Amino acid sequence: MYHSTSPAKEPNSTSTLLEEPGVLVAKKQHFLVRASHWLNVPILLGIILSGISIYWASPIYRHKPDPITGNFDVAADIGIWICVHVPGLHHYSSPPDWIYNHISLGPGMLASALRLHWLCAYLFMLNGVVYLAGLVMGAGWRSLLPRRTDLFDALKMFRYYVGVPFAKFMHRKWPHPRFDTKYNALQRTAYFSIPVAGFLSVATGWAIHKPMQLHWLAALFGGFDKARVWHFWLMWIFIFFVVPHVILVFADGWDTLRGMIVGWSTRVKRSQAIANEQ
Amino acid sequence: MSNEEKCNSLQPEDTPSMGNGSKLENPKLPEAGPADTNPAAPIATESPQALEAIEQQLDASGSPSPSVEPPPRTGEVLPPIAAEPVLVKKHQSFFEEQPLPVIEVAPRVLRYRTRRDFLFFGAGAVATLAGAGFLLPQETLSRLGMRRDVSSPTKEWLLNRALRIDDDVSEALYSRNRMVPTYTKSQITPLKNNYNGATPDPGYISGWNLTLDGLASGLGISLDIRNLTTRFSIHEQITRLVCVEGWSAIAWWAGLRFDDLLRAYPPTSQAGWARVESSVNLDASGNPDPYFMSLDLATARHPQTLLATHFNGQPLTVDHGAPLRLLVPVKLGLKSVKAITRITYSAEEPKDYWAERGYSRYDGI
Repeated sequence: MYHSTSPAKEPNSTSTLLEEPGVLVAKKQHFLVRASHWLNVPILLGIILSGISIYWASPIYRHKPDPITGNFDVAADIGIWICVHVPGLHHYSSPPDWIYNHISLGPGMLASALRLHWLCAYLFMLNGVVYLAGLVMGAGWRSLLPRRTDLFDALKMFRYYVGVPFAKFMHRKWPHPRFDTKYNALQRTAYFSIPVAGFLSVATGWAIHKPMQLHWLAALFGGFDKARVWHFWLMWIFIFFVVPHVILVFADGWDTLRGMIVGWSTRVKRSQAIANEQ
Repeated sequence: MSNEEKCNSLQPEDTPSMGNGSKLENPKLPEAGPADTNPAAPIATESPQALEAIEQQLDASGSPSPSVEPPPRTGEVLPPIAAEPVLVKKHQSFFEEQPLPVIEVAPRVLRYRTRRDFLFFGAGAVATLAGAGFLLPQETLSRLGMRRDVSSPTKEWLLNRALRIDDDVSEALYSRNRMVPTYTKSQITPLKNNYNGATPDPGYISGWNLTLDGLASGLGISLDIRNLTTRFSIHEQITRLVCVEGWSAIAWWAGLRFDDLLRAYPPTSQAGWARVESSVNLDASGNPDPYFMSLDLATARHPQTLLATHFNGQPLTVDHGAPLRLLVPVKLGLKSVKAITRITYSAEEPKDYWAERGYSRYDGI
């Protein structure tokens, strides 16, 4: 019906207002998916910044105390190394705190960090529910499910991405691997893994937050101390995901970035429109 | 919306949000001849509202309903592709990806919606930025170069609200019948002296007494360590002590149950709380800094809540709160007051040393 209703080719139409032809758009993201996607930015930022401030109070990675400074924290060692080796940082006032001053709320503020961490963590869980609701209501969850061919296809995509700058530089043709799904295999793997990582972050978070009442949960991750290590590295999954995620979105173009704001894409294949009509 | 429309119709290519890309990307509809008229829906889309209504209708049904959709049309307009449907797989399983719903939208409706969504998400971003700046701790903001003091009662209220919600969750999770895991002696790990300030001089131990206030009898009771260890049965347990800082230690404790003390010296009937205090605590520079902590009586009655007298098989040393310390494995270690000198029962929730310093009050784990 909507194909036949384009006023531009409607000779009976008396309207003179609509003269431009209609645009075909594919609906990609449900409103709740878009909203929760963007809400993740401030929430995860708050969780990670406060989380590293909490880490400061009792670092997981430590060594025997330095006989002179008494320092035992590997993160402090990295800060000292940075201040020694990065030009312009020689006079940094407190090298051991460099990491905490730059990727956390700051050292020595456990109480504030915990308060913010709980607030963001509860918001993160609520946001996860909103995201799942959006996936179900927009039927987007099917596009995220892993497939048997994903491992091989993901490697192909990875090879493509790695080769793009080289091919551009050499003015060589470097065709994009073909796929007829919403996401390519690498995207699908990433977009499926991130919600899983989010779920595991929440689970390990509860395991270390309530290790007595939920001791079975802590036991699932190998006990209280190991659950902390899990929780720590799950944070890095988000950080490692975000960097290529942002680069690739900008590399892929405006349609992709806009898609997560308005929810639709104008990259519509004719066959898709036909398939939709069947 | 009518304003938006006018604006759009005056400047057909104005919206930057559409970008040049979309113009290029937009697959234009195939040119259709006048013979292509469809009498079923002649003027349904004269207004954007009508289009939207149609779109919603489509959204609701997921795909166009066959009764409204005249199927032969594709055959007329797109003969080469119309042969394709054999290649288009039908939706087979529940888990299989379905083709994205494709709709046709009048460009100005699209522009209007693009602008609406960009404004909505843009406003959200600005609000979030303001909110996040507002919620960050003052120390962090000062370090970022913000001189202005942004601490406010609303901010404190909101952040404390998150703490209280978390406390309520902890309280709901607590059960008197749920025991904390116990360990074997081979799993014991070192436990450091984590006195917040300086470790007190052991001189206090010889004259030590435990005072109980707020009892049903209306009297204050004073007990020495001999009274406590001879009158009550001693229980042993190897449990994990978890610090708010994130470290934990498995230690072997022995002592009397808090529950037994409560039975022997019952508090007033209205009492729901105990204030557990140590007057011998010192601050970092060695000055007296009494440590006081609130404990709900439901937790005090937990069978694993001990008034410990022994650590790793030996009487408590001054490092670990000789001669008597509280051990509450279902709470963070900061609730396990060392060298207790006074317990006061009350109906009101008493003050708490760490809650006054921005930590939570209940601290159930």
